[in-house]
Amino acid sequence: MTAAIEVSDLRKRYGDVQALDGASLTVPEGSFFGLLGPNGAGKTTFINILVGLVRKSGGEARVFGHDVETDYQEARDAIGLAPQEFNVDRFFPIKEVLEHKAGYHGIPADEARERADDVLRRVGIYEKRNTRFDWLSGGMKRRFVLARALITEPDLLILDEPTAGVDVQLRRDLWNLITELNDNGTTILLTTHYIEEAERLCDEVAILDSGSVVEVASPEDLMDRGVDKITISFRESPTSAPALTAGNGHIEDVELVDGRLVVTARQGGVVAPDIVRELDREGHEIVDLDISRTSLEEVFVEMTEGQSSNIEGATQ
Amino acid sequence: MSYLPTGFKTLVRREILRFVRRPRNTFAPPFITNILYFSVFGVILGERIREISGVPYIVFILPGLVVLGAVSNAFENASFSIFHGRWNEYIHETLTSPLSYGQMVWAYIVSSATRGVIVGVLIAVLGLAIINPLYAASVGVSRPFYLVAFMLVITLLFASLGVAGGLWAEDFDDLTMMNQFILRPLVFFGGVFYSLSDIPPLLRDVSLMNPMIYMVNGVRYGFIGRAEVNPNLSLLVLLVLTGLVAALDVYLFKRGYGLTE
Repeated sequence: MTAAIEVSDLRKRYGDVQALDGASLTVPEGSFFGLLGPNGAGKTTFINILVGLVRKSGGEARVFGHDVETDYQEARDAIGLAPQEFNVDRFFPIKEVLEHKAGYHGIPADEARERADDVLRRVGIYEKRNTRFDWLSGGMKRRFVLARALITEPDLLILDEPTAGVDVQLRRDLWNLITELNDNGTTILLTTHYIEEAERLCDEVAILDSGSVVEVASPEDLMDRGVDKITISFRESPTSAPALTAGNGHIEDVELVDGRLVVTARQGGVVAPDIVRELDREGHEIVDLDISRTSLEEVFVEMTEGQSSNIEGATQ
Repeated sequence: MSYLPTGFKTLVRREILRFVRRPRNTFAPPFITNILYFSVFGVILGERIREISGVPYIVFILPGLVVLGAVSNAFENASFSIFHGRWNEYIHETLTSPLSYGQMVWAYIVSSATRGVIVGVLIAVLGLAIINPLYAASVGVSRPFYLVAFMLVITLLFASLGVAGGLWAEDFDDLTMMNQFILRPLVFFGGVFYSLSDIPPLLRDVSLMNPMIYMVNGVRYGFIGRAEVNPNLSLLVLLVLTGLVAALDVYLFKRGYGLTE
């Protein structure tokens, strides 16, 4: 199967700033892929190279096997982009803006009109179809850029911070819509600052930092690399923390806090039963157990905080 | 690929609708300005100048005013459309589409040239409506082929220049500057209001370096059938120039000049 996005050793320099520094990444067709990274990590530059808004300084980038420079027409035809910044034609009512976008992709006028009505209904702003973009509310603007990305029925939908600054209801509407698209086969590339969003939606995430891909894994795998906290309460509190042999090396720390045993361990859910059995064998009567799972956000911060000094001044 | 013509047509249509839906900005200014030109230069000054190159002065300046209106509108439309799209970033809608760079450029050129031609026709009709009753004359089009050919090539040329100008401009002042400091001097020293035979030889030689001379001369040939420079040669030079500037535009789009950095 051809990858939806295949990028190798991708580089982009803006003057003194190396925005992308040899990024390599493969996004499988049909996946829901998250691109995470702090501000200035190179996420938007990465996307803009794919759609032709930034010229790469080096490396290769392909969309469904089409080189983004030599086969740029085929590559761009496959992509629907909902960018972070609003870059919408202000001269025309939003329905006509959609018809134009469809037309640029070769969709005949009659079909473009039907599709425009359809996507405006899907994102819930059909009644505003004769309004110009400037007169829409912030949330409606966000809905509109998604509609514009959808009008061409792209095989690859790129969403750059789609839920930045939107209310909870809209965020959930957008999540439902893009999940449905992904279920129907559309590959999704999502960049977001809301780690919860990536954790909830993505099959796989790449962490980009200082222009390089530092990790690619599923959210689950990443969270497994963080440390969980297992808090155990006893009927009778021990006077000192028991020495645990269970956990097969996953346990990193054991301490007694206010009469409760706090175990710090990787893959807490896996090691907890072993710990319970060992404590039981040693005669401790357990009355409560709580596993506090590390969040993707904590793993993300841990993976990227060492690089923060390099981020300053970088262009996103 | 079957989608390409649809994409090109859509961009041309979008660009034409943009100016057609704003007639107060597009058509009213040249209409008013040219009524003033015809009144002051043609009727009032024309009374004193009487004939030039064997025709009434107002008839002599008509082709020049048509050229002035046509090329400045073609240039302004292309430069404004490109620059405004860059300024507000909605040109991204075009740039991220599967249109080829050549199609993008030619869509901007063709639509801007269309505006130039419409304004040129508007001025010609206005001029003839004033001239014919005033002089009880029947001034018309002497060489239709040349008139059409010159009108097309000069509007295409200035639309092509406008595309490059729109890519180069950094702010709105640059657009005004190009119009005021480059376009207008070329037009005013381009034989719109005077005949080459009426100026000193040195000035005439300098004037011949101004491409506007050949445009005004060609359109004048189309209207009144008299030319000071060979119209075929003028047409050929202008066609080549248009091709070169359009090729430069495509190159600039491909490089992303003013667009992608």
